[in-house]
Amino acid sequence: MDSLKSEQNESMQTIFAIRHLNLYYGKKQALHDINVDLYEHCVTALIGPSGCGKSTFLRCLNRMNDLIDDCKIDGQILYHGTDVQSVNPILLRTKVGMVFQQPNPFPMSIYDNICYGPRCQGVRNRTHLNELVERSLREAALWDEVKDRLKTNGMALSGGQQQRLCIARALAMSPEVLLMDEPTSALDPISTKKIEELVMSLKERYTIIIVTHNLQQAARIADYTSFFLLGDLVETNKTETLFSRPSNEKTERYITGRFG
Amino acid sequence: MVVLGFIIVRGLKPFFHSYRETLADGSLAEGTASFSYFWSGIRYNNRFDFETHHYLYGIGHLIVNSLILNLYTIILAVPTSVLTALFISKIAPKPLALILKSGVDLLSAIPSVIFGVFGMGVIVPLIRAWARAWGAKSASGVSLLSGAIVLTLMVIPTVISVSVTALDGVHKEQMEGSLALGASRTQTNFKICLRAAKSGIFAGIILGVGRALGEATAISMVCGSPIQGITWNPFAPTVTLTSEMLLAIGEAVPGSMNYDIRFSAGMVLMLLILMTNVILNDVKNHLSEVNPPPFFIARIGKVMKKGTLAVISSFRKSWQKHKAEKEKKQ
Ligand SMILES: Nc1ncnc2c1ncn2[C@@H]1O[C@H](COP(=O)(O)OP(=O)(O)OP(=O)(O)O)[C@@H](O)[C@H]1O
Ligand SMILES: [Mg+2]
Repeated sequence: MDSLKSEQNESMQTIFAIRHLNLYYGKKQALHDINVDLYEHCVTALIGPSGCGKSTFLRCLNRMNDLIDDCKIDGQILYHGTDVQSVNPILLRTKVGMVFQQPNPFPMSIYDNICYGPRCQGVRNRTHLNELVERSLREAALWDEVKDRLKTNGMALSGGQQQRLCIARALAMSPEVLLMDEPTSALDPISTKKIEELVMSLKERYTIIIVTHNLQQAARIADYTSFFLLGDLVETNKTETLFSRPSNEKTERYITGRFG
Repeated sequence: MVVLGFIIVRGLKPFFHSYRETLADGSLAEGTASFSYFWSGIRYNNRFDFETHHYLYGIGHLIVNSLILNLYTIILAVPTSVLTALFISKIAPKPLALILKSGVDLLSAIPSVIFGVFGMGVIVPLIRAWARAWGAKSASGVSLLSGAIVLTLMVIPTVISVSVTALDGVHKEQMEGSLALGASRTQTNFKICLRAAKSGIFAGIILGVGRALGEATAISMVCGSPIQGITWNPFAPTVTLTSEMLLAIGEAVPGSMNYDIRFSAGMVLMLLILMTNVILNDVKNHLSEVNPPPFFIARIGKVMKKGTLAVISSFRKSWQKHKAEKEKKQ
């Protein structure tokens, strides 16, 4: 069993290697010395009580924290071995897509929503864009619902459809990684189920890192799970292991619902 | 409402009441103002028509000139104010944005005479120099362009401050969504922020256009006063509804045709502002909603179509009834 695990580990490529990551909002430290490897073509779930720094950590991976004025980062975030602080953030974000907690479609047609990212990179070819729209919407399991009304405003869709539109929009960039920050917390159970299935189907082609408050969700969809507590990364393990035999006592208390 | 009623009653009077006046050449005139010439004429106070007994006051050119002046103003004002608003709201560092905002608010409180004086003292000479350099036939610099520039200066504070409010209201999530897709700041500002704020920005433009259409003092100071004609030439002087209303108002005798016809012009001005507002509001509503309502104009058209169809079908019914009764009789 153990040998099997290590074998799998070796065959899996590290896509993000985080080394001694400390993050400060002004004087307040939000992340303490985080060290972790994230693997390619895996779903990694980030769990932990509210305010423990999951979103903050996630936003480091595509440098969205750059947008916050007094946010300071120490340590290294290696993406394919290069420090993300040294790459062009625009280039990084085309490779590392993001889906937010609240669905945030742009106030334009479904078609234009999907084409937004590629167009910003200068893609103009009409047939290419058409293909891209169909491919992304199919991947996001939204195509059948909207194929007859691609010209309607993206904001006129239901919440669950909007979230899948946002996923499709991110997929249209052909990213390697998809960061998802509680993508289902604003949705009803059926939409949630759809998105969970979607995540599982996407992991063949993409690496997915997902923040969730729903432990069952993490158990259902994630290969690896990381537990955060008060800005510390307490434990990262295979999901099964973390939920059945957590190696840290704090993790155990959290997953058995005794605090947080 | 009282003012509105008053203006309408007084404005209609010249067309129904007979005025007895001595003309400049000493002859005696008596009659009403010509309604058709009022709309179609391109010369204000043309002459008295002794055959039809009508005073010929035309404001057709005034309406068109007002619209042209406003068009020029919009062309100048909209890009400048929208770009400035974008800069204040999204690009400038906070302290600078604050300073600019209060500066803009200060500007919008300046009365129009001051703009007029500024226009006469600064803009007109500048335009004169420019026109000379270009070889345009403008002797004085008093011109359509001067008017448009002065109006632009007057309306941009309003448009800017409304647009800034609209842009400040753009959700952070939308901007983050755009940036997370690898869009640059500039792309996000133009493609997302402007788009999300467009109906608010349009509301600012409506306010600005309302102010520009109604402005008289500053325009009469920098636009000159040609007697007739429509002009598109930015270097030529022009005369609008508002400036004509003000022109030599001190010499007009209350109760005379020359005096009362100004109320008619005022009535038309109100109508013009009202119509512009309806149309612009319509466009704004069309912009703002996810499922925009059809244009007001289109709705009116629909109602009229329905009404006509109803009238036709009722006619048809009564005709058939009539026919049936006739046949019965036979
Ligand atoms: N922009 C910011 N400026 C200052 N402090 C911040 C900022 N964003 C987050 N924080 C702080 O950093 C800490 C971690 O926040 P973060 O949003 O990452 O938590 P989280 O784990 O995502 O919580 P939740 O589950 O509620 O989303 C919190 O204490 C929060 O107050
Ligand atoms: Mg969060």
